[in-house]
Amino acid sequence: MARRTRVRIDMTPMVDVAFLLLIFFMSTTQFKPPEPVAVTLPFSQSEIHVPETGTIILTVNQTGQVFISSERGTDIQELSPDNLLEAIVAWRTRNPGAVVVVKGDRDAAFGAMVDLMDALADAKTLRFNLMTDLAKKPASERRAAG
Amino acid sequence: MAEVAAAETGKPSAPGRGVLGRVKKKRVGIRIDMTPMVDVAFLLLIFFMVTTVFRRPLAMEVNLPEPGAKVEVPESNVMTIYIDRDESMYYKVGKNPIEPITWAELTPTLRAGADANPDLIVLVKISREARYEDMVDMMDTLEDARMERFSLIPMKERDEQALEELK
Repeated sequence: MARRTRVRIDMTPMVDVAFLLLIFFMSTTQFKPPEPVAVTLPFSQSEIHVPETGTIILTVNQTGQVFISSERGTDIQELSPDNLLEAIVAWRTRNPGAVVVVKGDRDAAFGAMVDLMDALADAKTLRFNLMTDLAKKPASERRAAG
Repeated sequence: MAEVAAAETGKPSAPGRGVLGRVKKKRVGIRIDMTPMVDVAFLLLIFFMVTTVFRRPLAMEVNLPEPGAKVEVPESNVMTIYIDRDESMYYKVGKNPIEPITWAELTPTLRAGADANPDLIVLVKISREARYEDMVDMMDTLEDARMERFSLIPMKERDEQALEELK
């Protein structure tokens, strides 16, 4: 008798879990993570990926203000020209293996970027990355087109 | 349920089926087929799981020379490119006079310069008031032209005056 009754799997718990996960992903998905400092990246044809963790991010906004943070962006702090070098050295000492990423706004003044790069060189950070968006065309073509 | 029905009719084993069928028709509640709904739910679940993965940002790598490291280069081996504050571009090779240049002409000029002199070194002087994008675009163009070694320096007053005279 018992063998004859069709095996019915109760799918209710599975569906519960599925919907729970669905709601979780729907509510947590953010198509673009919020940025503490708004930056429009310049374009380049470079396709090197920035590591996801273990980075020190130096953000330079349009007006040339410099901010330092980790990749999470929660520990962001604004830097002034006076404590720029000091802060870079402090952050580098705290995370010796971290990759330094410069995230500059494309409209930032070149002077601000040079000062930052000089500070990086003084802090013995000779290798760093400049965060860029992928360009489809070479710079010369884009600039020639206006 | 089935067993109770079978016991009531007093036929534990044999034909039973008719009896069972009858009982089922009466007692079994409405069953909604949840399969399509679950299908949709899983489809959405997979969609959100896949799209949650962050788009990793891209970057270009910079290797600075040791601070204070000095390399003597004869002037004839140096091509200087100037980017002024109004984003106009000029260049000169060696001791030649400064000439204006456009972005479109830049790559062919760089190639021609490298072909004419394999030891050519590019010096990029950018006004402090120019934009960061100019620097990145210049680095990208130099990389395109296989010029991996170049210097980026801010313009001095002397250079700005020289450019003023050209305008």
